[in-house]
Amino acid sequence: MDESDDDNEEVEEKEVKTPTKSGGRGRGGRGSGAGPAASAGRGRGGGRGGFMNFGERKDPPHKGEKEVPEGAPECLAGLTFVISGTLDSLEREEAEDLIKRHGGRVTGSVSKKTNFLLADEDIGGKKSAKAKELGTKFLTEDELFDMIRKSKPAKAPVKEDLTKKHEEKANKSHMKSSPMKVKVEDDQPGTARKTPVKSAPSNVSLSKRKAQIGEGSSLTWTEKYRPKVPNDLIGNPSIVKQLHDWLAHWHEHFLHNGQKGKGKRQNDSGLKKAVLLSGTPGIGKSTSAKLISQMLGFEAIEVNASDSRGKADNKIFKGVSGSTSNSIKELISNEILSSSKKWSEHKKTVLIMDEVDGMSAGDRGGVADLISSIKVSKVPIICICNDRYSQKLKSLVSYCLPLNFRKPTKQQMAKRLMQIATAEGLQVNNITLEELADRVNGDMRMAINQLHYMSLSHSIINYDDIRARLLSSAKDEDISPFAAVDKLFGFNGGKLRMDERIDLSMSDPDLVPLIIQENYINYRPVSAGKDENGVKRLNLLAQTAESIADGDIVNVQIRRYRQWQLSQAGSLASCIIPAALMHGNREMLEQGGPNYNRFGGWLGKNSTMGKNLRLLEDAHVHILASQASNIDRVTLRIDYFTLLLKQLTEPLRVMPKDTAVQKVVEFMNAYSLSQEDFDTIMELSKFKTHPNPLEGIQPTLKAALTREYKEASKTRVVRAPDLINLPGIKKAPKKRIAAILEPVDAVDSGLPEENGNGLVESDEENSSEADEISGEAEPKLDLQSDKSKGIQVQLDLKTDGKSKAKKAPANKSRASGSSEKGGQSSGRGGKRKR
Amino acid sequence: MLWVDKYRPRTLDKVIVHDDIASNLKKLVSEQDCPHLLFYGPPGSGKKTLIMALLKQMFGPGAEKVKMENKAWKIDAGSRTIELELTTLSSTHHVELNPSDAGFQDRYIVQEIIKEMAKNRPIDTKGKKGFKVLVLNEVDKLSREAQHSLRRTMEKYSASCRLILCCNSSSKVTEAVRSRCLNIRVNAPTNDQIVKVLEFIGKKEGLQLPAGFAARIANHSNRSLRRAVLAFETCKVQQYPFTVDQGIPPLDWEQYVSEIASDIINEQSPKRLFLVRGKLYELLVNCIPPQIILKKLLSELLKKLDSELKHEICHWAAYYEHRMCLGQKAIFHIEAFVAKFMSIYKGFLIATFG
Repeated sequence: MDESDDDNEEVEEKEVKTPTKSGGRGRGGRGSGAGPAASAGRGRGGGRGGFMNFGERKDPPHKGEKEVPEGAPECLAGLTFVISGTLDSLEREEAEDLIKRHGGRVTGSVSKKTNFLLADEDIGGKKSAKAKELGTKFLTEDELFDMIRKSKPAKAPVKEDLTKKHEEKANKSHMKSSPMKVKVEDDQPGTARKTPVKSAPSNVSLSKRKAQIGEGSSLTWTEKYRPKVPNDLIGNPSIVKQLHDWLAHWHEHFLHNGQKGKGKRQNDSGLKKAVLLSGTPGIGKSTSAKLISQMLGFEAIEVNASDSRGKADNKIFKGVSGSTSNSIKELISNEILSSSKKWSEHKKTVLIMDEVDGMSAGDRGGVADLISSIKVSKVPIICICNDRYSQKLKSLVSYCLPLNFRKPTKQQMAKRLMQIATAEGLQVNNITLEELADRVNGDMRMAINQLHYMSLSHSIINYDDIRARLLSSAKDEDISPFAAVDKLFGFNGGKLRMDERIDLSMSDPDLVPLIIQENYINYRPVSAGKDENGVKRLNLLAQTAESIADGDIVNVQIRRYRQWQLSQAGSLASCIIPAALMHGNREMLEQGGPNYNRFGGWLGKNSTMGKNLRLLEDAHVHILASQASNIDRVTLRIDYFTLLLKQLTEPLRVMPKDTAVQKVVEFMNAYSLSQEDFDTIMELSKFKTHPNPLEGIQPTLKAALTREYKEASKTRVVRAPDLINLPGIKKAPKKRIAAILEPVDAVDSGLPEENGNGLVESDEENSSEADEISGEAEPKLDLQSDKSKGIQVQLDLKTDGKSKAKKAPANKSRASGSSEKGGQSSGRGGKRKR
Repeated sequence: MLWVDKYRPRTLDKVIVHDDIASNLKKLVSEQDCPHLLFYGPPGSGKKTLIMALLKQMFGPGAEKVKMENKAWKIDAGSRTIELELTTLSSTHHVELNPSDAGFQDRYIVQEIIKEMAKNRPIDTKGKKGFKVLVLNEVDKLSREAQHSLRRTMEKYSASCRLILCCNSSSKVTEAVRSRCLNIRVNAPTNDQIVKVLEFIGKKEGLQLPAGFAARIANHSNRSLRRAVLAFETCKVQQYPFTVDQGIPPLDWEQYVSEIASDIINEQSPKRLFLVRGKLYELLVNCIPPQIILKKLLSELLKKLDSELKHEICHWAAYYEHRMCLGQKAIFHIEAFVAKFMSIYKGFLIATFG
């Protein structure tokens, strides 16, 4: 309560003026199903009805203006509410809190059990339609306040009234035109809260409680109330049943199949020799396993992470015990021995492998060994893990019957917790326990521990206690980066404590800053307050952006110079300060699309950039190889691209087809550009608002260009080795090798002056040999003869081994290059295939 | 072939723009030896051209016969071996490479390649040139460590190898390295010089140049000869014969940056910031270096800015550019600059016009 009061003050300071209230909230829009309540509309609120806005929930128009009443703690008990649309003064979370504090229940969607639909304006939508259909009462915020306020002076009767005849009650409260701002004596919230709970669902006398504490206090509650029979298990009944059936029939299926002559039943896909129970901690996996084995008369042998479970020696597997043996193997082999001796009444055993996902650390080869154990095992094996999709367990999963435990619902948990509370003589109501169940995130063990702890200081536990306690000591759940960002940027992000913020931003120190960076623009900051022309918001944006940039600089220090002590400073700069500045409501900046945080775009863009840089480098290398130009990569992109693009596309637009294609191919040849480079240039010249560089060029022309280029590649002067198409090999050799391969005829006719004296000689030598080779249909890759040629394959490498490895592809390419002059038969065949 | 490559002077004699430097260089190498050289100057001023012409002057046509290879080095660095790959252009007389491509491991490249060259000294039959030349591009992008190690090796192996360094800004090259070289500043050509070159090309290609057309291109090129020649040819591809008022097509990315600038000037809002981010991403993805984007963006913004604000905005641009060099994710810093600009500009607009 104190908290929300603070909040109200905060907001009130900032919200100086609210828009004038227009009369008539548009109740007419509400269906007749709303009954008399509808006709008695008091005409408050923003009058913004009819404006449909699904993506975004607006601020409450009179946020923080109204006094939030304080009523009897149980005045809404037994009532179920659904909140729809924007309320008049409360944020949705605040409203939920208010209802829960007073014992009510809030659900997400309208059902038969729903008593009220809390809505200040009828925004249409699914909830109100359903409510009308079911005849659910509509309730405005003011009416809710009235209900709560009423409860205060006359606690018990109101309560009764509400639980039994809530409809009439609601109507009554409608009829009365309640004053808008009743000053509830709110000075001592403490006293208000202390009003005794009249009808806590289980009222146990204190004496009984004391007696119980006296006898069983030595045990922790988790042990004391550990389920003793399968029916005590909470949730997952079908899985427990499945486990039971599997274990009960295990021996018939796997041990006696040979004798009964049924053939191999193991082929049956449904039958696995082991099960894998998975689920989050504290939901009763181990308990179920133990309980069921116990019930079926198995002796459970539990092996967990504290036992050595590494890969056993092969010899031990054969039955020789040794120092490196592990318990699993022993257990299995023992079982084999015992069954062969036919001890009639030997106890059946079951092996429970707990925490199999923790097996990698000290247990080398543990999972593989476990699999082999499963294959030969004569006892059932139950494996338990937390995350079934863990990489480590990938191989194991296929040998096991996977059973996935789900978290019990909060109702289920609350029921069990209530039993415990009753048994311990603790006064607590259902809603409170549900809240507890909610807070611990499905972890039953945790919930019981919390309850136990709280019972030491209180004998009555109410909603606020749970809230106050668990807000701070909430379970360290695995929080996704998105959830973390949601919390940081959320409307109440300003109320988080520093350590909470650090925890949130550290939940994934790489991703959270990226998501924050991606989304910070979308938030309408609370701290901007009233901001007529948006200057404040822009100032905040600038500050935030600078802080994010700071974070990047710190990150460089951390990563490049290993200054890990800066990691907190990094998360402060990249997450916490931006969130502190910008937290508020999210709004959409572009039409359409969902209104939730996007994934950080930087990663994707960065990888695209990397790819494009690689492509550009390829094109750059080709241009360098052509010897036409000697430029660096940046210059190529910045200065050359515009003209290159023009040269490559303009002829296709204006000239007749054949000459255009001819011209472009000539140009490409002059710069050793390949088809891929052509595409690269097109791709890198694309801008969203600019016309596509290929616009206005017929696809047929493009196709003709490809054809022409392929055709010309027969006689092309190949300069870059990765441009050579090898007949047999589809991909170009992975490593680029130095090679300038020039067919002799091309040298003679076209480019005589380009050849240095030395090279001409060597090429001349080659030509005779190459001609011989080209006579054959299949180019022979004779490395010996190739080595003798004076091809420009100079590999000034430090190590000899490497140079040999590299020479091989070069020779191949040489051979194919020479074959291209001649028959080209194989080369063309290869191309046609594509 | 593009004109810019076609009419690139291949020898020192044919150099038009920096003929004074060319003649000096010629004298320099006509005597047997040559010191280490450091060429610096803005892009498009002709550094590379001069270097290539110089090499040809030194070694004859053999220097033009280059081959490209992807060299791999294995470097013993104490406990571990580092494997590096780098594309080099080399002839029998020289090796050219971009050591900054190796990123933060550029130090090893610099050390290793010089040692290697020193090891296999070229044996010239005539016994004329006992050294090889190593051309290092983008020396200003070398890390500090690499420059330090360069200093040592430059002296130690100076008998067998000469370095020609090439960079845009000499201020990013350490004092120690600069003092070991003969510094040659290659100025950006003046507009008149550019016009001269353009007219020369026009004559060779047999084109009709309307009066003042070459001057306009020169003006537009921002004193980069390369850009001027490229723009000239772009004009030719786009429309020939030339008309007097023919527009000079802008570079695709420059056009985009100026669109961004007008986006920013026209509206300052979170929504617009978001839009601008998308466009900046596009530029980055299209391999435009972030420094260049920021610089161009600033100059475009300054064009449309009130003179009162210019100083402040320049300050912030410099501030964020510096931080961009320190950081890694360029977009964050450019975006921060844009946000800062928006906030300042909006505040200014409201203060001025209410």
